[in-house]
Amino acid sequence: MKATFPHFGYDTYALKTFVEDLGAEVVLGPPASKRTVELGVEHSPELICMPFKITLGNLIEAMEQGADTLLMAAGARKCRFGYYHYLQEQALARLGMRYKLVPVAQYSPYAFVFQLIPSVFHVSPVRVVRAIAIMLEKSLLTQEFRVLLNRKRAVDFREAERLKKPALEMVEQARSVKAIRRARRGLDRMFSCNGSAAPGHNGRKPGLAVGLVGEIYMMIEQFANQEIEKELGRLGVEVLFERSLHHHLLHLLRLDRSYFRSQRLARRYLRECPGGEAMRTVGESIHFVERKKVDGLVHIFPFTCMPENIALEALQQLSEDSGVPVLSLSFDEHTSRTGLLTRLEAFVDLLKRKKRVQGSSRN
Amino acid sequence: MSKVLLGIDVGSISTKGVVIDPEFRVLASSYLRTQGSPIKSIKLLLRELGRQMDGKAVIAGAGTTGSARRLAGVVVQADIVKNEIIAHAVAAGQYYPEACTVLEIGGQDSKIIILRDGIPVDFAMNTVCAAGTGSFLDHQAARLSIPIEQFGDMALKAESRVNIAGRCTVFAESDMIHKAQLGIATNDIIAGLCDAIVRNYMNTVARGKDIRPKILFQGGVAANVGVRSAFERTLEQKVVVPEHFLVMGAIGAAILAGEETEGRESRFAGFETADVAFETRAFECDGCPNRCEVVEIVREGEVIDRYGDRCGKWSEDLSKSSQPETVSQT
Repeated sequence: MKATFPHFGYDTYALKTFVEDLGAEVVLGPPASKRTVELGVEHSPELICMPFKITLGNLIEAMEQGADTLLMAAGARKCRFGYYHYLQEQALARLGMRYKLVPVAQYSPYAFVFQLIPSVFHVSPVRVVRAIAIMLEKSLLTQEFRVLLNRKRAVDFREAERLKKPALEMVEQARSVKAIRRARRGLDRMFSCNGSAAPGHNGRKPGLAVGLVGEIYMMIEQFANQEIEKELGRLGVEVLFERSLHHHLLHLLRLDRSYFRSQRLARRYLRECPGGEAMRTVGESIHFVERKKVDGLVHIFPFTCMPENIALEALQQLSEDSGVPVLSLSFDEHTSRTGLLTRLEAFVDLLKRKKRVQGSSRN
Repeated sequence: MSKVLLGIDVGSISTKGVVIDPEFRVLASSYLRTQGSPIKSIKLLLRELGRQMDGKAVIAGAGTTGSARRLAGVVVQADIVKNEIIAHAVAAGQYYPEACTVLEIGGQDSKIIILRDGIPVDFAMNTVCAAGTGSFLDHQAARLSIPIEQFGDMALKAESRVNIAGRCTVFAESDMIHKAQLGIATNDIIAGLCDAIVRNYMNTVARGKDIRPKILFQGGVAANVGVRSAFERTLEQKVVVPEHFLVMGAIGAAILAGEETEGRESRFAGFETADVAFETRAFECDGCPNRCEVVEIVREGEVIDRYGDRCGKWSEDLSKSSQPETVSQT
């Protein structure tokens, strides 16, 4: 069996370790590129959202490399995402390739551990639990990597980009719980940041910090969001985020406290969940604004995403109430890079000017 | 000799330039069509501004903005290269400190900027679609053989206003043709078009924005009194078109250049740059499947700037010294 799954930003490393721990060989396609999107678009319904197109392209490219077992996240509770695998299966069938697509239903930990994974990989539930434990640890490492990278970029962009490769090698090689914890300490030393850019932290020159919120795939897959964290870092802004594979896993195990907090906070603007992750987007935004005191919010989501469009309305209200600017950006394969960079640049300029005026009026 | 500031705004359709004095009064200004070759139009602009200034002042700072801001910045060796949103906001805040809203419609983009106490606090720009911008009005005026300058006046003469579908320019055009075939007067159709442009703007760009007076209307389309009156009707507010509405972006770039060069010399190459040979080349990088289109700017045979690559392989290869500061780190 040669298993594959769509790329998922830096969290790909954690997913890869998980599947390998189940005894399967992992064949990943190349990281998403223009070709991936073209392949995806060619075999997708026209108005479907960006995550569908890129993940389909990922799967096709992995099959070209010999993958035969495709793992695709599934779960009908959220939005049309729950139906992706049905449509992708149809699209792939038309290509006439030999494969088996496994929809990885996520919302029952019991079924996942005792039925789904053992039946696909022929392993015992004990081994599944062990692999999950390591994945939890490893996803914490990839999350930590992203936090440190974003922090470093805001202070010393070139150095951060230089450190990225050796740091990722370290992430990739750590496979046992012990090694992963060692790697986490290693990353801390490597990036040697003292604390966050959030106001006046650790005597560092206070910089700008923005909270990145929105749809989970767009936030995690750096190709899909055109490396928005990198571009904001280049402009000297530290990007805070909460959405990651680690938090998602905790959420599936009903252990994610930030999830419950977001649900509670979001009720200020949304009486009930309109679908997708709208509640989380809104709740996280309130958290970033009120607790983390960010200078601005950047909200990203796929073009035509219904739940996030509703969240957008709530965020505009939040922005009005709190005075914290929000930049909402929808993405699809036509999103122009120049346009995106212009908006980011203008947004950061706006935050800087605002901060300068506030700073001078306080003195 | 007095010290003055230069601002250049190179957009998709037009190239604008101004020279302002330290009190931000406009000494010279020029507006011309970009006509697909920004380098040529930047040179023509410099020549024209140089002629108007006639060696009377020293340029103490130069700034560029607009969609070709980077190219323009390299050609004139600007002190600052800034996006058009901030440039427009700065100019508006300078001339009208009490302004709270800036509506801006240019050749191919439209934006809204929300100001409070003279500083920008929020903005939006058209994203997926450019329906209802200047180039569409141009196209319709040409199709009806009406000079674009008269377009707005005709709208004001309308006796009744017809409803034109404004969501998509192609459908708007078919709707206009259909209404003409029904025998509706041209004036009424043009008025309907102005309404449709404003309706589209309000529903997309300005959606959810807190529009408070005083409201400014800038950019090329502000010349169109029909669109302005349609805005006034929709917003039920007076809409002010600033005296220099066409060159507000350029003025903003000049003001920013003044801030940037405080206490140091300008890098401006001089109006004589108009005679230096510049060239742009584009090639597709085959380093990875992203196949980025990389643009090179060549001055007299020497590559002075490259951009367009996602990974930075080409752009970071050049020495940083010859490029203007695009962003200043806090």
